[in-house]
Amino acid sequence: MTFPAAGRDNCVVVAGTPYVYATVGGRGFVMRARCPHRGGPLHLADVAEDGRLTCPWHERRTSVARLRAEIPAVRVGDRVTAVFPDRPPDRGWPTPRAACGGVALEHRPLAAALARPAPAG
Amino acid sequence: MSHVPPHVPFELSGAELRDAVVQYATAPIYHDNMDWLNHDRPYRRQLRPQVLPHLDYDRIPGRENILNYPSLAVQRLLTSIYEADLVFFPKGGLKGQEEDFRTFYSPANRALGERIRPALERYAFGFLDDEVETSGNWTAQSLDAYLDSLDTGGDEEQSPVEKAVRGSSDPERAARMWLVQFAPDFLSEASPMIRNVLGYYGPAQSEWFKVVIDEYGYGVHDTKHSTLFERTLESVGLESDLHRYWQYYLNSSLLLNNYFHYLGKNHELFFRYVGALYYTESSLVDFCRRADRLLREVFGDTVDTTYFTEHVHIDQHHGRMARDKIIKPLVEAHGEGVIPEIVRGVEEYRVLLEVADFDFTEQIAWMDAQPELKKLHDPVFEGLRQGKVDAPVAHIVEPRGELSNTHCHDGDELCHIVSGTMRFESGLGSSLTLQAGEGVVIKRNRLHGANIESDECVYEIHSVGDYRKCLS
Repeated sequence: MTFPAAGRDNCVVVAGTPYVYATVGGRGFVMRARCPHRGGPLHLADVAEDGRLTCPWHERRTSVARLRAEIPAVRVGDRVTAVFPDRPPDRGWPTPRAACGGVALEHRPLAAALARPAPAG
Repeated sequence: MSHVPPHVPFELSGAELRDAVVQYATAPIYHDNMDWLNHDRPYRRQLRPQVLPHLDYDRIPGRENILNYPSLAVQRLLTSIYEADLVFFPKGGLKGQEEDFRTFYSPANRALGERIRPALERYAFGFLDDEVETSGNWTAQSLDAYLDSLDTGGDEEQSPVEKAVRGSSDPERAARMWLVQFAPDFLSEASPMIRNVLGYYGPAQSEWFKVVIDEYGYGVHDTKHSTLFERTLESVGLESDLHRYWQYYLNSSLLLNNYFHYLGKNHELFFRYVGALYYTESSLVDFCRRADRLLREVFGDTVDTTYFTEHVHIDQHHGRMARDKIIKPLVEAHGEGVIPEIVRGVEEYRVLLEVADFDFTEQIAWMDAQPELKKLHDPVFEGLRQGKVDAPVAHIVEPRGELSNTHCHDGDELCHIVSGTMRFESGLGSSLTLQAGEGVVIKRNRLHGANIESDECVYEIHSVGDYRKCLS
């Protein structure tokens, strides 16, 4: 599945789970945009001092290393190709049953801490 | 254990690097030529050493600047350095070129080249670090899904190259310019690939070797792919001696060819080469089918397209072999940790193909637009006179026969002839004659050169940056 790294259609919803392209510590990756705790907007998370993401709803912290590992992806310029699982993740806040199945492109605003910095020069 | 001094890895940068580049490129075999073509002189490569002291090799260009002159200079340097590993002889024999032969393969030339190679590779390919980034834990299953998703079969839509050639005001000239771009790769075809045949690494090595055997025509010279390509060139009136058309190679044509040497020369990039090999072998079937059709359309039945039709057949096998017999066993043997590099190789090669399509398309448009760009001289020169743009100007006086070997500029320029006659070269078979009071707009990044055809020519080069500002 190929989608824009930023801007319109930057969020792929696969089997009810939204994913966005985020950058932390200068390295990009595709991550779930839903907090495993209570389904909060993880794409609006802050990066805590310990490097984990802090969900804006309940300040629950999520390991970036775990998120980074989850979805194999390759970014080329401002396009991302990712291989998504057919089913929603087993763990964490459940995906609404009605939303399961199919693939859709949407827009999700990204917290400044997760946005890809503009190229230098 | 007795005291061991700390290890300091080799690195060259700044003035030291620049001096080393100049030392390499000032060998006589790399000086400017007095002719547009090299006539069966395989060791002669025009590197324009007089310009090299003024370039900055440390500041890695982003993709938007990858077609600027310093990149062209670096690609020419790298081609020369990589090819010192390959064996070339003049078609007409070595007699009279013994000194060039010894110089090109001399330990001094090779050592000087190797010394600057890592820094030049960083300059030439560093933009790919920003352009392509892999992430996540890749598995054999996700790699399969990714490879399945790649569109290597093509569709009915015209490729940018097909559009450029068919839409050109001179399709034959455009097609010849296109074929010439493949000469650095196809005449020594599979040489970068052979770099990975050496060594000892299990069954994948033998599979890799089989691909090379096909490329080399099973030891029958008439079926060697380079022989087939020679016939293609000759059938459309081109010559097939090595680097005859050196001055007409576009930046991106050298970039593509050098990329495979870069991957093959640096074995830590082995898995990236595996990915690039898979994509090239898989996509070549469609590419060659289109090339065969296009060349027949342009030249009729006289063109020999066996090179391309042979690839339509054999690369169907090579794509499958690369995936089933090379990628799969390598992942099984070395683990899924190698997959991101394989994916990166696929995507890097695709980026380079895009760059090459753009570069070639722009060059054909530039060649076709020469009459208009000559007409554009007058209003642009008038704009300069009116002070619309404050452009630096170089005043140049050159004698008859002075040949500015091909190059490009990082911004638009205006060439204005004060006195004398200049032949302005903008591509293979594309030139203008400029007299006093005339001139031409030289577009950013477009390959060009000039020759003086009067006893003396006085001319000016105005570095306008963007010529349109002189018109507004």
